[in-house]
Amino acid sequence: MTAIYAVVKRLLASNKISFIITALVVLCATSSGDVVLSNGNYSWLLAVFTPFFFVFYDFTRLMHLGTSKKDYFSGCLISYVFLAFCISVVNTIIHLLIDPVYPAQTVINLMDVCQWTKNGILVAGLQQMFFLLLVMVFLHVLLTMQPYWYGWLADAVLVAMICIFTPFASLRNVLAGFFRLIMLNGNAILHIGICLLLTAALSFGGLAVLKRKAL
Amino acid sequence: MIELKQVTKQYGKATVLKNITLSVDEPGIYCLLGRNGAGKTTLLKSIAGYQNITDGIIQVDGQAITTSSLDPGVSYIENFAKHFNLSVRKLLRIASEVNPNYDCDFALEMMERFELDGKKTFHHLSLGMKTMVSTIICLASNKSVVLLDEPVLGFDAIMRVEFYDMLTESFQKHPRIIIVSTHIIEEIAKTIQKLIIIDKGSIRFFDTLQSVETKAFRISGLQKDVEAATQGLNIIGRDNVGGLATSYIFDNPPEQTDSLEICPLSLQDFFIQMVGHKGGAAK
Repeated sequence: MTAIYAVVKRLLASNKISFIITALVVLCATSSGDVVLSNGNYSWLLAVFTPFFFVFYDFTRLMHLGTSKKDYFSGCLISYVFLAFCISVVNTIIHLLIDPVYPAQTVINLMDVCQWTKNGILVAGLQQMFFLLLVMVFLHVLLTMQPYWYGWLADAVLVAMICIFTPFASLRNVLAGFFRLIMLNGNAILHIGICLLLTAALSFGGLAVLKRKAL
Repeated sequence: MIELKQVTKQYGKATVLKNITLSVDEPGIYCLLGRNGAGKTTLLKSIAGYQNITDGIIQVDGQAITTSSLDPGVSYIENFAKHFNLSVRKLLRIASEVNPNYDCDFALEMMERFELDGKKTFHHLSLGMKTMVSTIICLASNKSVVLLDEPVLGFDAIMRVEFYDMLTESFQKHPRIIIVSTHIIEEIAKTIQKLIIIDKGSIRFFDTLQSVETKAFRISGLQKDVEAATQGLNIIGRDNVGGLATSYIFDNPPEQTDSLEICPLSLQDFFIQMVGHKGGAAK
């Protein structure tokens, strides 16, 4: 447990650049007009940047310090849960405290867009947290695969799915349905359940990829 | 214990390790010798589970080793190992936190002995100092198998002597299998117990250093005398100049006669004869 805790500490400490960029964007982003984007939305950037550092920067260095792959993977998952919680708290606080005093008529926060706030702010925060966890684990697995042929295959499949599913109405509905399930979902139990299920499935996939990863 | 059974590793069409079978049973300091490109790093990386082999089985303490081994119990350090750009002291501390059996006292003692500035960040260290930090982390991990890939690269003469002392002390404190790959042959001879010579992906020699001392000889004299004396012996190399011949043997030496000069081979000469391509041409 001490080793995993040490890995978590190291992962978070070496993620400074992600924290700084996200903080700068959250603090400095401005928009004008009657309808503006909430600055809290930009806190999601941290969920996008973090897996890049964990996969491409921290992995090799932690291995050279003698970390086992098991501890590295556990550390990554715990860090993602922690960061998803923190991002969710930050965006929820911004949504509660800052968005209402914004000098514009309408402030768009993704928590509203995704219909999570219908369930109360606490549940909305939880839904956001589990969705962000899913995003981070998905990116982690995808990035870990990149040096291998199956990573490129996964990229090609994703691009092909978007290209093929978007032009055709029936397929577009399938794609929209999927995003309604994992993101634009007002049913909290179903949404959290789906996010957790997909996160667990991706985690097992990520573990399989990590097991094949050479140094 | 390390066990390799018919291990083959290919990179594309190039076979780097060829059907290697090797068993390292006893704790000790082993020296892995081989020319550049002989397969030393590939062999060490495969034992560490850093990469998969194409064919065969590698086991460490009974556990099969592949990249799937989540905790293989092997500590391996390579040249130019990447580390976080933190102070040396902090790096050693993190290493102690992620390794359950880490010998923190040993690591700090070595840091002092090698006059490593604990406050200096890793990127500001010289090549030799960077290698030393990696080596200390690897040795202090106390895993049952420690693999050091050219650990003396960038060391000055004094650092190398200190390093060999450190290796001996570390082994005496925690007896385990330590394999050191190096090109500086004579220096490490005082430290090691067994020698592994790898050439073109195959193990050419695996025995104690004493066996080299007692069985490796150079026999010089007239060609006919040398041929007669070495008949039936294990000849590992030959040189002929005019009517004079020199044979290099790994066997019990023939009886000394007036017409023969019999000298023990140095470790370096033995290695050169074993890998058998002095001057680049295969003998």
